[in-house]
Amino acid sequence: MAKIVILGAGISGHVAATHLRRKLSKNHEVLVVSPNSNYQWIPSNIWVGIGRMKSEQILFPLAPLYKKKKIGFKQAKAVSFHPEGDSEVDKPYVLIEYVIGENKGNFEKVTYDYLINATGPKLAFDMTEGLIPGKNKVYSVCTYGHAEHAWQGLNKVIQQMKQGKKAKILIGTGHAKSTCQGAAFEYILNVEKELRRHKVRDKAEITWIANEYQLGDFGMDGMLLSYGNNIMKSSEMIEMVFEDRGIKWITRAGVNKIEDGVAHYETLDGEYKSENFDFAMLIPAFSGHGFKAYDKSDNDITEKLFKGFMLVDADYTPKPYEQWTVQDWPETYQNPSYKNIFAPGIAFAPPHAISKPRVSKNGTSISPAPPRTGMPSGITAKLVAENIIDIINGKKTLNHRGSLGNMGAACIASAGYGLMKGSGVSITTFPIVPDYVKYPDTQGRKLGKTFGDIGLAGHWLKLTLHYAFLYKAKMKPFWWLIPE
Amino acid sequence: MTQRISKTKRFIMTNPIIQFFKYIYLSLKILVIVAGGHGGTRKNI
Repeated sequence: MAKIVILGAGISGHVAATHLRRKLSKNHEVLVVSPNSNYQWIPSNIWVGIGRMKSEQILFPLAPLYKKKKIGFKQAKAVSFHPEGDSEVDKPYVLIEYVIGENKGNFEKVTYDYLINATGPKLAFDMTEGLIPGKNKVYSVCTYGHAEHAWQGLNKVIQQMKQGKKAKILIGTGHAKSTCQGAAFEYILNVEKELRRHKVRDKAEITWIANEYQLGDFGMDGMLLSYGNNIMKSSEMIEMVFEDRGIKWITRAGVNKIEDGVAHYETLDGEYKSENFDFAMLIPAFSGHGFKAYDKSDNDITEKLFKGFMLVDADYTPKPYEQWTVQDWPETYQNPSYKNIFAPGIAFAPPHAISKPRVSKNGTSISPAPPRTGMPSGITAKLVAENIIDIINGKKTLNHRGSLGNMGAACIASAGYGLMKGSGVSITTFPIVPDYVKYPDTQGRKLGKTFGDIGLAGHWLKLTLHYAFLYKAKMKPFWWLIPE
Repeated sequence: MTQRISKTKRFIMTNPIIQFFKYIYLSLKILVIVAGGHGGTRKNI
């Protein structure tokens, strides 16, 4: 009998837990430890942030589902890792702290045979001075709670515009090293569409601000894609969309400080500038959770497990951009020091960025970190679960592999809500990490599988994904037939 | 605001009948790309 502990119940942790439970007999224990009581379908936060969906439509409580499916659940947060146990406990364990109920504040040593670290990122708002969701007129859509606040803030500005006031809206990245430009891109298009719906578009000046070198970088170094019968750069496609909707843009900008209605930023040219706003939604930097790890003798071995995020089977040798290869990227998400620990999804430390790193004249690094999206999170979590099942069943090698350099991703970006008047920008990319050796003439991507499309069908696709993945997450009949 | 999308293209983007067929096409295409498999990149494994 094996005990598999999963830290985190986001897309990655939940996918791993559900597949493990489905494929392993009940003799084996599957236990999820998460500080959150709800599962949330994060991609739909965008619609909560424009008031077109309620939080209840994108989440459900985990405890009843896990109880029904015989998955253990502790609502607690991980504190430290002890992969060799300690002087009192022989087995490896994770120290957790309960965050709710009568056990709140109590610690427990949770032992495991296999550990899946799916703790995702820490939303590092503190890395940008004054970037506090709901304060200084700046908001976030990173959680459903943040998105609810964002809608309250946006609605207030819309009501003011209806009274005749003009407003400046700023949306993009809130740190020089932020990622998740795709979420901000979706939000700015949705906000623009909502302002038209409320008939106040003429009262608003909407501006995109980002650490991207060019529009459409998305933390993936941009892409060459097929669009209809044409081949175009993602920068050209996004520029077309922004110009068509009257959205201004500021690129190569590292936001470093927020004051009430003012965003201060540094440009790659080394200039320090500021932008006023009445409403802003800025994505923070992502960081690791700062976990510590200890060996059996209680010596600090954090560097064996973490480099910000968790170390896995990637090549972390520092090298210049020109020498980066897809082979640097992990394939099994297994920690090299402790083979029973895995970190799929967002929890693993990437070997380096994907976008070309750039530094301002003042020495500030201003370029996107690698994007961390739901689709690869689900795929990598599933393959980790399958490898653990194989090991439990006696296999000696990890046969399930999935490098971001050999994996496709679809970014179905909502560009406006509405069953008949909505719109979406659908972009697929293969592979996620460009392979310049395999696809030398198309900027590292396979053209037929890297394409863009704009239209109402994109909105329907996004809605389909919303309902399909919530169905899957709730483990309704035949849920496993829906791919990650 | 600069019109960068022609009226014809805009009609195609918003027409529900055309977009219904596009929805079917895109769903299948994305399914093939995303569910079409993934793997490693290292030759020595």
